[in-house]
Amino acid sequence: MGGISVGVDVGGTFTDLVALVDGRLVTAKVPSVPGAQASGISAALAAAGLDAAAVGVLAHGTTVATNALLERRGARIALVTTEGFRDVLEIGRQDRASLYDLAAGKPAPLVPRELRFVVRERMGPEGVVVPLDDASVRDAVEAVAGAGVEAVAVCLLFSFLHPEHEQRVGAALRAALPGVRVSLSCELLPEFREYERCSTTVANAYLAPALSAYLEAIEPRPLVMQSSGGVADVATAAARPAACVLSGPAAGVVGAAFVAGLGGLGDVLTFDMGGTSTDVAAVLGGEVQVTAESVVAGVPIRFPMVDVHTIGAGGGSIAWLDEGGALRVGPRSAGARPGPACYGLGGEAPTVTDANLVLGYLADGAVLGGEVTLDRELAERALAQLPVDELSQERPTSSLRDWDLTQRALAAAVGVVRVVDAEMARALRVVSVERGIDPRGLALVAFGGAGPLHACSLAEELGVERVLVPLASGVLSALGLAAADLRRDYVGGSFEAMEAAAARDLPGAETERLVDARYRGQSHELTVVADCWQANLAEEHERRYGFRLDAEPEIVTRRLLATLRRERPSPRNEARSTEPRSRPAFVDGEWLDVPVHGPGAAVIGPAIVELPGSTCLVRPDWAGAPDAAGTLVLERTWTR
Amino acid sequence: MDAVTLSVTNAALAGVAEEMGTVLVRSASSSNIKERRDCSAALFDATGRMVAQAEHIPVHLGAMPESVAAVIARGPQPGETWILNDPFAGGSHLPDITLVTPLALGGEIRAYACSRAHHSDVGGMVPGSLPAASTSIWQEGLIVPPVRLTEEVEQILLANVRTPEIRRADLAAQVAANRLAERRLAELRLPLDEAFDAVIAYAERRAREAIARLPDGRYEAAGEVELEVDVPIRVAVTVAGDRIEIDFEGTSPAVAANVNAPLAVTRAACIFAVKVALGAEVPVNHGLFAALDIRAPEGSFVDARHPSAVVAGNTETSQRVADTVLLALARASDVPAQGQGTMNNTVIGTSAWTYYETLGGGQGASSRGDGPSGVHVGMSNTLNTPIEALELDFPMRVERYELLDGSGGDGRHRGGDGIVRELRVLEPATLSLVTDRRRHAPQGLEGGGPGRPGRNLVNGEVVPAKATRGLAAGDVVTVETPGGGGWGRLEP
Repeated sequence: MGGISVGVDVGGTFTDLVALVDGRLVTAKVPSVPGAQASGISAALAAAGLDAAAVGVLAHGTTVATNALLERRGARIALVTTEGFRDVLEIGRQDRASLYDLAAGKPAPLVPRELRFVVRERMGPEGVVVPLDDASVRDAVEAVAGAGVEAVAVCLLFSFLHPEHEQRVGAALRAALPGVRVSLSCELLPEFREYERCSTTVANAYLAPALSAYLEAIEPRPLVMQSSGGVADVATAAARPAACVLSGPAAGVVGAAFVAGLGGLGDVLTFDMGGTSTDVAAVLGGEVQVTAESVVAGVPIRFPMVDVHTIGAGGGSIAWLDEGGALRVGPRSAGARPGPACYGLGGEAPTVTDANLVLGYLADGAVLGGEVTLDRELAERALAQLPVDELSQERPTSSLRDWDLTQRALAAAVGVVRVVDAEMARALRVVSVERGIDPRGLALVAFGGAGPLHACSLAEELGVERVLVPLASGVLSALGLAAADLRRDYVGGSFEAMEAAAARDLPGAETERLVDARYRGQSHELTVVADCWQANLAEEHERRYGFRLDAEPEIVTRRLLATLRRERPSPRNEARSTEPRSRPAFVDGEWLDVPVHGPGAAVIGPAIVELPGSTCLVRPDWAGAPDAAGTLVLERTWTR
Repeated sequence: MDAVTLSVTNAALAGVAEEMGTVLVRSASSSNIKERRDCSAALFDATGRMVAQAEHIPVHLGAMPESVAAVIARGPQPGETWILNDPFAGGSHLPDITLVTPLALGGEIRAYACSRAHHSDVGGMVPGSLPAASTSIWQEGLIVPPVRLTEEVEQILLANVRTPEIRRADLAAQVAANRLAERRLAELRLPLDEAFDAVIAYAERRAREAIARLPDGRYEAAGEVELEVDVPIRVAVTVAGDRIEIDFEGTSPAVAANVNAPLAVTRAACIFAVKVALGAEVPVNHGLFAALDIRAPEGSFVDARHPSAVVAGNTETSQRVADTVLLALARASDVPAQGQGTMNNTVIGTSAWTYYETLGGGQGASSRGDGPSGVHVGMSNTLNTPIEALELDFPMRVERYELLDGSGGDGRHRGGDGIVRELRVLEPATLSLVTDRRRHAPQGLEGGGPGRPGRNLVNGEVVPAKATRGLAAGDVVTVETPGGGGWGRLEP
């Protein structure tokens, strides 16, 4: 396929584009249009000066499925299941949403009770226990027909082992209801555990109509980022919409892994700090870490998804003093509108971005995304509202009342950054230490608008010695899209059958045989390479859980991963170092005149590097230079 | 301590406890710890005050200070780890094994790490160590008073349990969790004593401010645990300024059954109820405990003494204590109506296999909306066993697993519905049921109706709340769990 390779990430606030034109990276950032995601794509192409006709491959990251699930705006669908088990979808695993907030309800099931229908039948581990009752199938089909639904999911007990009854129900539904999509659990996810299989099948049916309609409308026909970190064609993505609910975050992690790989680094933590939330993940040996145990918006979805941990804190998070006298940041956020106080759009609450501006890390008067100008005075006024006398560690000799607004705001800003850093460090520990990964040997890839500002201090907190700041850190998800390989995941049945399917779906793809294995008596599995699986299981068990178990291993599920490599962009560093300017910044308790570099410069901390779409604070004892791809590689020169 | 350092310190110490909990869950071998998360981890200061706890399961909430106090009284030394499960010397019930490790920094004990895990067998008269019919502690398993965990002690323990290899792995996971705390504390670079004081004082301020917002008064409530006759619980909750006193005067003496609760279990249930009433934001550590005064008549069934049988005190009486205290607090605070108030412990087994399950039911409705259906309420929040996993592992078939329509209480907001779970055994086995709320309904609030009590049946015939009996191949056990109480009068 000739033509230009383009990645377009449509987020809630901005649509980002990265294109590789003759080995040169072209980027664009335009505002997203709420409710009309697809129009952002043409706007971004126009902003980048690209002709849609010249585009060879358009890889797309979308939040359409994510938002439909979060906001429960999916299709009206029905569920057909085994008699006696109509409520498995609603009961779930019996655990409640919150340990102490007893009034907190569980997220509503995607299919309400009146749209859950049953058929009389039962399969067991050995096969038929109760034969499928044809009259009950007719009744169920009639009930579904009368319910006016757009799609229907079918999940019968033990269909992962014995699919015959489920297939007969599916055939009856398809014959009687030609306009209605039918999702069968035995086709989609032939894995044991009825609730999770049912939940995944239902999510798929629920999201299918909206995602299909959306993808059909995009020109040129895109490749779509799946939650697994690989892209797929429209037909594949539309058939498995539940596999696209983490499309956006997955693209960012793939972009970070790609940039680290260009610099020869395979083991990294990715740190994507945006306006309202922060996504962190681990990449090991160049491989994005995936899990099949994700729960998104209260819905278990057992498709492989990037193992990304999200916390509700970002640049727009609001700082406040709680009633016990502790300074807190988030979970409330000023969002994009009105945004931080310094945006001048009417926000008055102090945010993390306001603190970074008051500390001099962001420039007064800087223009963000072409439309917002940062105003330091507004930031100071907002921060000075915090009860500063509670925040100051060393009390000055003069009364605090005599402090002027600037001094009060400064004390508050230092505190806000310390608190938010502690929260970010905690999130990074979750995806490293708590997964059996020692962060000290890893590099931290920082991106998103706010990530590079906080990267060095987080690295210090975690004992990480190297920080990477990609040149395209403001649009890294889009770069991830341009760089991602085609991927399809198969589960259940024999390897041979799955390989035949992969050869049909993705001709020329590399395949890898995997198994979900465990020790007899355990109720949790680990996914390992099928070749020498017993040794792999022992090794992975030790890495994840810290010990080996002297017990009989068993295979629970077989998987096949098919990957078709795409030509990778190889961005070159074309930024030329320019003479630095300088501005005052408050670092480790004193005002310093800190050099401010553009992209492409070698730096020694303390310094500030202003990149397209983000700003990096290089703390004292850190220094570095751009690599061949333009990624700023910072190393810690001295550990206090 | 300033507001910023306080915030960072709160997060750091809570992080240590949470990471201990993660290591414990991650490295454990048994599904009871790994999947059901029936375990807890906490950090204590050098005087035995709890600083932070990883919150996995409420029945362990605030129930560990007794364990640490019992160990401190015996003069622990750096480098040792102590073990106990004696309900009358720091424990709760015998399956809960607690490990206490003194944490020495610079040669001096500066803190204690404590981990508690429900071990799925500790010996005694039945597999799983949850007998329905025990009348003394000796029938319930091996009793371990607070002693140093040495190779010899571990050998004695393992020689007395049915699944020694899994026990050994789970104990190793607990040791690993406690040891992790020592490394993390050393890395924190905090002045520890000052940090502990500040975090405890912070929790106490938050608790007292929340309590001060409740109207002063003395609020009474009554409940019961169902044996052949009812065993009454009486509670008076007094809110006075920024303190709460909970007094169980009038509660039944200990009984010749296994529903007795040691005071540590009663205390955990009270702390749970208070935390629900005060709001989930109030941190749990010594600071919260300091604002509470909990009293029970010595030797009563909520302050049971040696050698009472106690195994179901932890599962059932803890539930009743919690929802009776919540009922009293309902006149002072906006809490939900009573939920199912039982864990519906169901044990089926032979000498070759043991299946243990607890079942969810209806949660009470609240001013905010209907009660959730088919969930664990109160002191438990463990996961169910998937039907497909169960049938692959055990010679049983699940015939029905559904919500019980209409079992939640009426009201402006409806109580949550209970569950029906019907199991057919395919070979002869023994059934043990430890359930409650089979005669007495969960109560509604503000004019809301009661939830429907639960029922236990074998082949369609009702069996009592607590029962042990043999099953023949083909027998069907049906457990119907209670619905939650409604909230608010139903509009006519």
